[in-house]
Amino acid sequence: MEFKLEAHRIVSISLGKIYSARGQRGGLKLHKNLLVSLVLRSARQVYLSEPGCPPEPPPAAAAARPPEEEPAPRTAAWAAEPPPPPPQDEAGRDCQGPRPRRCCCGEENRGGCAGAPPPPHCPRKRSAGERGQAGSPVKKPRREEEEPPPPPPSPPGEQEDMETSNVASLISIFGSSFSGLLSKEPKGRRRPPLDGGEAAAGTAPAEAAAETGQICCDEPVLRTLNPWSTAIVAF
Amino acid sequence: MIPGFGSLMQDVLWCFSQVKGTIDVGVTEADIISTVEFNHTGELLATGDKGGRVVIFQREQESKNQPHRRGEYNVYSTFQSHEPEFDYLKSLEIEEKINKIRWLPQQNAAYFLLSTNDKTVKLWKVSERDKRPEGYNLKDEDGRLRDPSMITMLRVPVLRPMDLMVEATPRRVFANAHTYHINSISVNSDYETYMSADDLRINLWNFEITNQSFNIVDIKPANMEELTEVITAAEFHPHHCNTFVYSSSKGTIRLCDMRTAALCDRHAKFFEEPEDPSNRSFFSEIISSISDVKFSHSGRYIMTRDYLTVKVWDLNMENRPIETYQVHDYLRSKLCSLYENDCIFDKFECVWNGSDSVIMTGSYNNFFRMFDRNTKRDVTLEASRENSKPRAILKPRKVCVGGKRRKDEISVDSLDFSKKILHTAWHPSENIIAVAATNNLYIFQDKVN
Repeated sequence: MEFKLEAHRIVSISLGKIYSARGQRGGLKLHKNLLVSLVLRSARQVYLSEPGCPPEPPPAAAAARPPEEEPAPRTAAWAAEPPPPPPQDEAGRDCQGPRPRRCCCGEENRGGCAGAPPPPHCPRKRSAGERGQAGSPVKKPRREEEEPPPPPPSPPGEQEDMETSNVASLISIFGSSFSGLLSKEPKGRRRPPLDGGEAAAGTAPAEAAAETGQICCDEPVLRTLNPWSTAIVAF
Repeated sequence: MIPGFGSLMQDVLWCFSQVKGTIDVGVTEADIISTVEFNHTGELLATGDKGGRVVIFQREQESKNQPHRRGEYNVYSTFQSHEPEFDYLKSLEIEEKINKIRWLPQQNAAYFLLSTNDKTVKLWKVSERDKRPEGYNLKDEDGRLRDPSMITMLRVPVLRPMDLMVEATPRRVFANAHTYHINSISVNSDYETYMSADDLRINLWNFEITNQSFNIVDIKPANMEELTEVITAAEFHPHHCNTFVYSSSKGTIRLCDMRTAALCDRHAKFFEEPEDPSNRSFFSEIISSISDVKFSHSGRYIMTRDYLTVKVWDLNMENRPIETYQVHDYLRSKLCSLYENDCIFDKFECVWNGSDSVIMTGSYNNFFRMFDRNTKRDVTLEASRENSKPRAILKPRKVCVGGKRRKDEISVDSLDFSKKILHTAWHPSENIIAVAATNNLYIFQDKVN
């Protein structure tokens, strides 16, 4: 449990470093960013590998709240401290990630979500959308510096874990902007379609982390990065 | 001259000698010292700072009248080595910070050194001028040209003494060879070539040729997303001009022989210590990244510095170091905080003494540590203004790790992590050390009896 807490905190800190590294004088430091991405990967692995543990709120937000069983606390704490986005490697593997789930859900096919093979057109659309986003300034420093450190591989199983444990907690905070949610989403919650605007907001933080080569594929989690997405899109 | 060879550390009492730099409370970032290096005789001491300046100190001749002042170092030359630049193609500013200075061995009256920032290496010539020619025919004393028709007689110009002037001129500029940030330069023992290393590549230069260099190591993967390690430091063997080593962010060292192939991607030796599984943490990878690698003067050993330890390796044994010294192991439980405040990324350097019997490296709170390889004893000293009375003996410091703190000890939580000693230098043959503490340069010597 403690490890999960610490892992989550470390992921948040790491993301902060990656983000703030952009404005650094002298250009991105490849060495430092590589190390940060390695820490991010380790923390993420620990976070995801602890089975059945509900995600703890980050220490900063946990002040008055005791840890809860599933679902995790549904407070603004999650908005303040973004949950760890699992890294993703090349776009080819995106298909095995949460995209299928998203796509399934988008198509109102909740039953087929968990672990179902992705409908081909959906992931491609999503990936294309992301790559389109890749042309944005967010991606430019990456190309200029030829720098992104490698994204760690993301086993699909872990994505599933992430989803099931986080979903309920994230729902309450992000409400209708939380498109692409999964089968565990309670009935009656509106799931907005995957439109360009959503994609843009959602993928911007993805691209921010893609700076380091890790495409944060877990869109639902990413969508929760409200403060991040605002800041990063603005950047 | 008191030789430093063979002296045991416990016999040495380190005394304050000098401190250079201002005492202002607010430190200008440009004044932060980023590299320190003695030349091969120890007569000169060079520092580089974040503002791109190089300051060279020269040791004054020892005077029989003042035997106590064993050759103090005074400013000899100051010059702006690098300026901030802007890479318009990439929209990136290139910092002027001097990453490394390396001296060339002296071959004539002038001194030569290499200084580098992130992208460009420069060869500087530092020479003295104490005479000037007077009595030109075609120009007058102020240098204005004379009207040739007004000249009625010819004379031979003579050299007359003048006030000593030390001038530094850039003799070569080695640019546009590095995509990534240069972290090391090393002069080869052939004195004709040198290498420059960045995160992914190492280039070999000839001092005379600035428009091309040979790429001798390239670890850039075809797909950058597969990148797992970068080059962190590199150095030539002190005697064998074909041999060099480079360290990586994964805690490994590779020794390469340039005779085997033009591109030394395949190492001749690979030094790596198996990881201790009991010490595994989120930050294991970061703290195993090597920040400095130095050959011993003998060429038989290499020393590496990672975040918490200094290790000595025998070139003949690749599977583990022969010695490991804990610099500040009490930080092991604080790695998360140090990650948060970025201290975990600090790159400490390490140095050998002239006889390779003692090694030194820096720590936080302006502490620096020395390890005697023979007796296995170590000492922690502090560079501070409080200990700055002339010839004041430095008192060993101790960090209290837990439990009851004794009177003179300092607890881990009281350490000032903004006061870090990253750069130190040891005189090649004497017990004189230069320690850079942010914007101040401390010089300590052993006690004169």
